[in-house]
Amino acid sequence: MKDIVRTALGGLLLACAATTVSADDRPSELRIGVFTFLSGPAAAYGMPGRNAAELLIEQINEAGGIDGVPIVPTYVDEAQGTDGVITEFRRLASDRDVMIAALSSANCLALAPVADQLRVPTLMWNCDTHQMFLEDEYEYVYRTNSSTIPEFVSYALYLLETKPDLERVAIINPDYAFGHDAAEIFKETLQTFRPEVEIVAELYPRLGASSYHTEISRLVSARPDVVFSNLWGADLENFVRQAQPRGLFQRSTVVLALGETILQRLGEDLPEGTVVGVLGDGWWQSPTARENPDTQAFVEAYHERYDEYPVFPSFKMANSIMAMKESFERALENSGGTWPSREEFVEAVAGLEMENFTGTLRIREDNDGLVDQIVGVATPADDRPYPVIGEMVRYPADLVTPPVDEDPIAWIRSLDQDFLDQLPKPGSYQ
Amino acid sequence: MMRITLIAVGLLLAVLLPLAIPWLNFVFIMAVAQGFAALGVVLLLRAGMISIGHAVFLASGAYVTAFLLRQTGITDLGLILLVATLGSGLFGFLIGMFMVRYRAIFFAMLNMAVSMVVFALLAKLYHLTGGTDGVRVATPTVLGAVLDRTVFDSLLLYISLALLVAVGWLVHRYLSSPLGKALEAVHTNEVRLEYLGVSAWGVLLYAYTISAALAGLGGALAAIAVGHVVPELAYWTHSGQLVLIAVLGGIGGVVGPFIGALFFEIVRVVAAGYAAYTWNMIVGLALLGVIFFLPNGLYGLVQRLLKRGGGS
Amino acid sequence: MLDLLALLIVDGLADAALIFFVAVGLTLVFSVLRILNVAHGSFYSIGAYVAVSIGMWVVSAGWHPYLTFPALFLSAALVAVALGPFIERYFLRWTYGKSEALQILVTFALFLVFEDLQKLVFGVQAHYEDTPLQLLGVSDIGGIFYLNYQFLLIAMAAVTVILLRLLIRRTMIGKFIVAVVADREIAQTMGINTTRVFVIAFTVGVFLAALGGALASPTSGVAPGLGAEALVLAFAVAAIGGLGQIEGAALAAVIVGLSRAAAIHFAPDFEAVVPYLVMLVVLLIRPYGLFGTVQARRI
Repeated sequence: MKDIVRTALGGLLLACAATTVSADDRPSELRIGVFTFLSGPAAAYGMPGRNAAELLIEQINEAGGIDGVPIVPTYVDEAQGTDGVITEFRRLASDRDVMIAALSSANCLALAPVADQLRVPTLMWNCDTHQMFLEDEYEYVYRTNSSTIPEFVSYALYLLETKPDLERVAIINPDYAFGHDAAEIFKETLQTFRPEVEIVAELYPRLGASSYHTEISRLVSARPDVVFSNLWGADLENFVRQAQPRGLFQRSTVVLALGETILQRLGEDLPEGTVVGVLGDGWWQSPTARENPDTQAFVEAYHERYDEYPVFPSFKMANSIMAMKESFERALENSGGTWPSREEFVEAVAGLEMENFTGTLRIREDNDGLVDQIVGVATPADDRPYPVIGEMVRYPADLVTPPVDEDPIAWIRSLDQDFLDQLPKPGSYQ
Repeated sequence: MMRITLIAVGLLLAVLLPLAIPWLNFVFIMAVAQGFAALGVVLLLRAGMISIGHAVFLASGAYVTAFLLRQTGITDLGLILLVATLGSGLFGFLIGMFMVRYRAIFFAMLNMAVSMVVFALLAKLYHLTGGTDGVRVATPTVLGAVLDRTVFDSLLLYISLALLVAVGWLVHRYLSSPLGKALEAVHTNEVRLEYLGVSAWGVLLYAYTISAALAGLGGALAAIAVGHVVPELAYWTHSGQLVLIAVLGGIGGVVGPFIGALFFEIVRVVAAGYAAYTWNMIVGLALLGVIFFLPNGLYGLVQRLLKRGGGS
Repeated sequence: MLDLLALLIVDGLADAALIFFVAVGLTLVFSVLRILNVAHGSFYSIGAYVAVSIGMWVVSAGWHPYLTFPALFLSAALVAVALGPFIERYFLRWTYGKSEALQILVTFALFLVFEDLQKLVFGVQAHYEDTPLQLLGVSDIGGIFYLNYQFLLIAMAAVTVILLRLLIRRTMIGKFIVAVVADREIAQTMGINTTRVFVIAFTVGVFLAALGGALASPTSGVAPGLGAEALVLAFAVAAIGGLGQIEGAALAAVIVGLSRAAAIHFAPDFEAVVPYLVMLVVLLIRPYGLFGTVQARRI
């Protein structure tokens, strides 16, 4: 009985498979799906990503596309929920060659097995969660950016250097996995090196809450040395605008892990001395970015079109598009000029090592991306009406990312003084 | 007779179309899953009660499925669907004991409150539920066989359609039974019903339990098809969507919610695919269009066309 | 301990003022039109967007900064006049007497349409205009700075409750509204133009929603998603107070505000669910809300 069912269904499957086209011939265009938030509160993060994709793809196409093949993107709104996102992914998979997906970690976790099932090469452009490649192995799924572990370990390391005597720490993060994960990583790192660190308040307002006044009273009354937050988008902007006049920034050192995204928007309202940085290395004014004429051209074109400078989500997106282009070119090289199949493409993504706008990206054997981390302090700029990041440090990806197959939290707990001594110091990245 | 032919043609199309366009396979499974949940909403709507929290039972079915596959050794599709349905039914019975005392807008709001508390719990109990990142749902086995995922997806569609027919027929029987008729009586005149010696509380609790079980079945199917469950399944907007599907399809019969679900899925796919920046607006306008021009929902339209066809 | 209590009360009341403005329009519209207006969330966020735009314009035109205060009210009035009668006439009037599900869905469809329209006009980034807040400065209470604007909001909420009460009890239109709420058909036979009462009540409801958004905008700004956020909160508060009860909404807002403040100070994990937990408890004890009354059942 079992066998009959299997044979019958197998036959059906073969019939379906026969209709899918093999991709040996050079296509007239390279069609890709780009998944990001285009509506709702998360669009504040998603749209800078979309804008970067749009601009960069145009620039690539103007320069002749990928070996003569132009890229044609289709944008998908992740705000429609996980089942809607999967529907779109399955629909697009029938005639798209590569997916750049997605922003939300929950969506990425849901999409990854589907991508493998449908054999669609998928480059995850954001999805920070460190759970991504922890338990599961994928053939077609890669992350072209860093995960929560290096991103938030770096902030703790920076504080350990700049405020070696800190004791009282408060946390205010959004109430979902990203916020809770970041809090755990940050706490573990601090307490590994300074067991006397005490968490005096731990608040998780819901995503999209517009008023933080009660939270601010609680934070101020807890008298913390340091307030850590990975709020983002309008939530972060609201928090800073409400906390600043109420004196939180004068009384404590505030760490805004996604602070770079609001520098241009807040201007002088963001107090000097606030610890800010980017997740990854995607800061448009970093020394590396300034030295690279391509980056500057991209940044100016972005400013010209969207009336603001790119923020780090833009560079996370750019990293993914550039990784896709680079992989195609390598695959073409390997095959001697024949357009690569999906399998040849993912083979080229595996082990990729490349320069991009703001640094380097390496894809390691668990399909995860290795990217440096930049942390610094909001500093007034001479030439701009908003602060820039000063006293910067650039933590090398190899140092702050746990080795493949190691439990990330166990890895954090195993760090010691020798590890600290290897690290570059705040202010060293100039 | 005409209706049965129509249903048969619909089922045949649902089987054949995905052979040509593979992604429709998933859309059809999701439509059936949403349709089951919306059918649950319809049962209550017949009694004049709107639940803006029914997605909580869809979520319970989905999470039971994820839990069974992850924590226990149970991997058989049939058993999972059964346990998820019964589990949600039981959950519905317990919640329903409190709910069915309420009427009108308070029933709606209280359902919403329960669903939001469950939503918050699903997101908070990180170690049990995986928090907002959700839980992976592995591919179940069928009669002991481990199938390739693509084969399994096709099979899942056939099973969903078979369930649609079987469960649909049962619900149809229920609605034509005295207990089902009593539902409408609750809507038109509850006091009179009680004078007849029928307990409105009992009638509604029975309906509430069945509607929760239906939503649970839908949730289990959706969880297996998507391969991942997230707390958003219980969020109030999802419940609102179920009411929307129910009204779109029409509350006159069993087929309505499934037509509504299919219509909704297709509108959403088309809107999201061709107008990624304004898909909310398009769904909204489509909804207004149906409400204003098809007062009996899409099923009403189908019936009208059938009558015209039969008359000529 | 006393310090903490003072903190709780100030935080709770400040929060309650914001929550009250979110809910009061919804409850007014429900009391008269018997429609649970999902588009209420849109009016709230549109009010905020318009207030920010007009505020920015006032500032950039170089007018006196204190003019940004009347600008908040002007914005709400503009939104009410532009949208209230139009939506009542072309979308809601048709649904009177139809099923509740249908009415909710019509307003839900409007909400979806407005959601994208706002995005098309104002983009996806947050907007701010905080001149009113800057002008008023801060006060020190027990070592913690509070914005004076927060206290202004508490006063405004109290004034609004009183004004609405006066409007309903002391004016002709108020009496018409009460009559229509009590019995639509009899009111009509008595010669009350119910159509006009509906338009006016709905427009006032839109005004209150937009005013809520406008008053919140100096401290909370406005960004996509604000409408949906405001809406659920409004539902919960209106249900707790008893749908259609203005004073009930005020009391519910105070309860939710204080509970939320207590949660943040003592059990932060529960903060997000506070409005729903309060709603569950209240409705289980008083099925029609705090101030709600049991409606007679038809025979």
